[in-house]
Amino acid sequence: MSALLLMAPALLLLLVVFVWPLLDYAWLSLQAQSVFTGLEAVPVGTLNWQRLLVDGRFWQDAWQTLRFAAVSVALELVAGLAIALLLHQRWRGRGVVRGLALLPWALPTTVMALGWRWIFNDPYGPINGLLQLLGLATLPFLAAPELAWLATVVADVWKTTPFVALLLLAGLQMIPDDLYEAFALEGGTPWQGLWRITLPLLRPYIFIVLLFRLAQALGVFDLIAVLTGGGPASSTESLALYAYLNAMRFLDFGYSATVMLGMFLLLLAGAGGLLLWRRQTDAPQEVRP
Amino acid sequence: MRGASRRRLTAIGLGLGLSLAIGLLSWAWARPAAVVRVLMPAPFADATADLVATFNRSHRDVRIAVTRGPFETDAVSDLAISSLLLGDSPYDLLLMDVTWTAKYAAAGWLQPLDPWLGPDALEPLVSGARAGNRIDGRLYRLPLVADMGLLYWRTDLMEAPPRTPDDLVAISRRLQEQGKVRWGYVWQGRQYEGLSCVALELIAGFGGHWGPGEAGFGLASPAAARAAGWLQQLVREGISPPAVANFAEPEALQSFEAGEAAFLRNWPYAWQELQRQGSAVAGKVGITTMVAEPGQPHAATQGSWGFSLLAGSPHPDAAATVLQALTGEASQRQLVRRYGYTPTLTALFDDPELVAERPLLPELRQALEQAVLRPLNPGYAQLSDILQRQLSALITGRGDPALAMARAARESDLLLRASGQEVGAQPKEVS
Amino acid sequence: MTHTSDPATATATAKEHTTATSLRLEGLCRRIGGRPILDGINLEVAAGECLALLGPSGCGKSTVLRVIAGLDPCDGGRILLDGRDISQQKPARRRVAMVFQSYALYPHLSVERNLSLGMELRGVDPEQRERELAAVLELLQLSALRRRRPSELSGGQRQRVALARALLRKPQLMLLDEPMSNLDAQLREELRPQLRTILCGGRAPAIYVTHDQQEAMGIADRIAVLQEGRLQQCGTPQELYQHPANLFVAGFIGRPQINLLPQGDGTVVGIRPEHLRAVDEGGLAVRVRSREWHGASQLLLLESAQGPLRWTCDGNQTLGDDLRLGWERRHEHRFEQASGERC
Repeated sequence: MSALLLMAPALLLLLVVFVWPLLDYAWLSLQAQSVFTGLEAVPVGTLNWQRLLVDGRFWQDAWQTLRFAAVSVALELVAGLAIALLLHQRWRGRGVVRGLALLPWALPTTVMALGWRWIFNDPYGPINGLLQLLGLATLPFLAAPELAWLATVVADVWKTTPFVALLLLAGLQMIPDDLYEAFALEGGTPWQGLWRITLPLLRPYIFIVLLFRLAQALGVFDLIAVLTGGGPASSTESLALYAYLNAMRFLDFGYSATVMLGMFLLLLAGAGGLLLWRRQTDAPQEVRP
Repeated sequence: MRGASRRRLTAIGLGLGLSLAIGLLSWAWARPAAVVRVLMPAPFADATADLVATFNRSHRDVRIAVTRGPFETDAVSDLAISSLLLGDSPYDLLLMDVTWTAKYAAAGWLQPLDPWLGPDALEPLVSGARAGNRIDGRLYRLPLVADMGLLYWRTDLMEAPPRTPDDLVAISRRLQEQGKVRWGYVWQGRQYEGLSCVALELIAGFGGHWGPGEAGFGLASPAAARAAGWLQQLVREGISPPAVANFAEPEALQSFEAGEAAFLRNWPYAWQELQRQGSAVAGKVGITTMVAEPGQPHAATQGSWGFSLLAGSPHPDAAATVLQALTGEASQRQLVRRYGYTPTLTALFDDPELVAERPLLPELRQALEQAVLRPLNPGYAQLSDILQRQLSALITGRGDPALAMARAARESDLLLRASGQEVGAQPKEVS
Repeated sequence: MTHTSDPATATATAKEHTTATSLRLEGLCRRIGGRPILDGINLEVAAGECLALLGPSGCGKSTVLRVIAGLDPCDGGRILLDGRDISQQKPARRRVAMVFQSYALYPHLSVERNLSLGMELRGVDPEQRERELAAVLELLQLSALRRRRPSELSGGQRQRVALARALLRKPQLMLLDEPMSNLDAQLREELRPQLRTILCGGRAPAIYVTHDQQEAMGIADRIAVLQEGRLQQCGTPQELYQHPANLFVAGFIGRPQINLLPQGDGTVVGIRPEHLRAVDEGGLAVRVRSREWHGASQLLLLESAQGPLRWTCDGNQTLGDDLRLGWERRHEHRFEQASGERC
């Protein structure tokens, strides 16, 4: 009983900031509340959900969001690990570089996205300036669906790799040096050490990185809203942007809540998968033949 | 005795009256002024700063407090909607884009202006500026400035502007082949409201009509498909740069101003930008209306800003006073003279002194007479979004115009049906 | 696979391919930022010999191991393994095994994976890997623990795994860096004979770093005493005890600590507490100040005209007693006071 009492504030907080909005959204997703109803909530049963299931745009955005998250987080993981390994070495000026490396992460996303919008500008941006200097044709980075998608990934990787590197660096610093020394004495190369020691021991940190970053990337909004506005042809539109459009532009709150909940359910499935994967790989090691 | 008593009575009456008058006066003096809060996009807040200051100096019982909103239209809308959704709006007046009116009115956020402005409020306006203010017979908005889509052309490269789409392509191609310009035509191809503005003019110019009354909100017509196909052709054939698919007004203006293109679609504000120092095309620019197929109207998308009275305003009388003052003739005259905005009042277009100062006014008026309104539908934002999506795909080289417009038509119908509106219904607007 | 439980046979199995080698350090130097950490260390360890490196903390004894292993660079001198200079070779090529103070077991791998990883890296074929693994597990009584992770093992078990891993390397030289310092005193004493069996008598030389002289004496054939990066003396435990080369060694080896009595002539006489005898006349006049019971004997702290003295005695003395103490001439060590060297 006293345990429950002690936990009450935490539970209350969880209830207020998480459960309540979720229930509110669930209720809203069963209503038609839009500009057409004069913003009055009218119960419509599962109409919004039926619409969601056949809404090509929702599924296209879901796929785009997933692809964006998967590719950018994968790249961030690789680049972040490389940077973390570099920053973990001892070299002159490391402290300064460690500080500088964090800069992109410290920038507000909207500011950063505006910067990238300029960088990718056709034909006046620096990248196209360079292409022209080399005698090449300019590329319509934000005007062609594939390139625009790539641009969002590049900007996201640039922005969040420092965060990933920082977390992984913390992980690297938890690995005792003598493991590598023992490994080297046994005849292992540094490359083998990366796979046999570093990565397995970084796994809890990689897990945290994946959890944080995937959750963030699957909910990506501001970067895309500023950089491409979801275009061209909605090819970079994310689910969060779609939900936002429904609420703030179309004033269709019932459906917006449905989109948000749909996204939440997809996220939940993803997180569940990740947890399952972690549990499985965390099981006692099997003997290799 | 009688006389004395009458005199006494008179004195008492006078004394009473005087004290009453003094009391009333002092009450009026001491009464706190009603503060009318106005949200405007930043450029308008800046342009009207002097007007507001003058108003506040000359009115004792009403004060204007302006909130300087963001620069971008969508951001202003977001700000307004966020506050309106929270319940009592912190603003009395809102400076709104023409496309918001139907949505805001349907959401119940606006108060009709008729009780204050009467049934003839729109009479002093040029006819092109009257549309888009009345919904279901009620006046919800009074325009401050007018805006309409214009075709800018290079007077140094051609004798006369093109009048048909084929003309535009032919002239562009010739100039491009001669190496006089890199691109023929720059416009707004980004997936945003500007693209719908571009499309509205063209669909009309190809003999169609985007709006209620026809199947697929007018997008099922061959005209819509031809207009969309023309836009696709522009990019595909290199008349317009591929980057046009990400151009909003500033990008298109930048390209034209640098002398890279023969034609530009933009709003009247671009004129001043193109004439300023550093512009490669200063003095070499003419304006006209959008190209159209022979026999079809040279349409100009109407995009005006006007004031609306928010439903929750605690002092609508004061707000109406402010609204009338800010949209009045003196106010509009100053906006025209200082900032080059296009007025909405007939009196100003007819004023020879003003025309002498702004020789563009007659041409602008002509364009305004051709103005087409974007559909006055509460679901306009979503209908526009449907069109933008399909057009953006076409411009970036994906898909077939007829199929894309058919898809947009189907989605529009679905939306209208889901919202309980009759597909193919006539607009309820009375202007 | 059936295996004899006789440790000696198992040891032989684990070491079967090792050729007899010897180690020679010539003028080994290591500097950090210009400061000498090791200053010209000369040492020789024969095949099958176990040498203990003994010294107070910070004396450089662990650095000697790290330089030999190649984990720290060699800034001067040579490391000859079987006459071949390995001082500039990569650690992996030196065929040196090391037991780390922390054991450095891979926390994410089971005991058997910890042990077989090295063999896998070196390309030992799976069948042989399993054979050698089974042998060493048997030798160190780890067979029952082979599936456990290091975190599921006790300190002593972890130490045995680390030792097993080093043995599987089939090193030409075995290095142990304070392998017992994380264990409690009782376990240390229990493990000493086992460790001695495994390390000594093999074909590879072993160097055992410790700051505990009891451990050094209990395990090593010879002890090298290090102080401030310099070798003070190297010899059998008896030699160090009986003939300390200088004042430092005399003071460092032997517990309780030796009594040092400055003479007027610039020398110091050292006499161990256990060599003092009560005499009726002559000798030093002392008074008992305090005492510690050590079971069979007691350590008395005494006061004399030449300073405090320690005396290990069997008898029963009481506090405040006045006594006279003497010693046999053969137990007397004499050092030059200025240089600290033995006379």
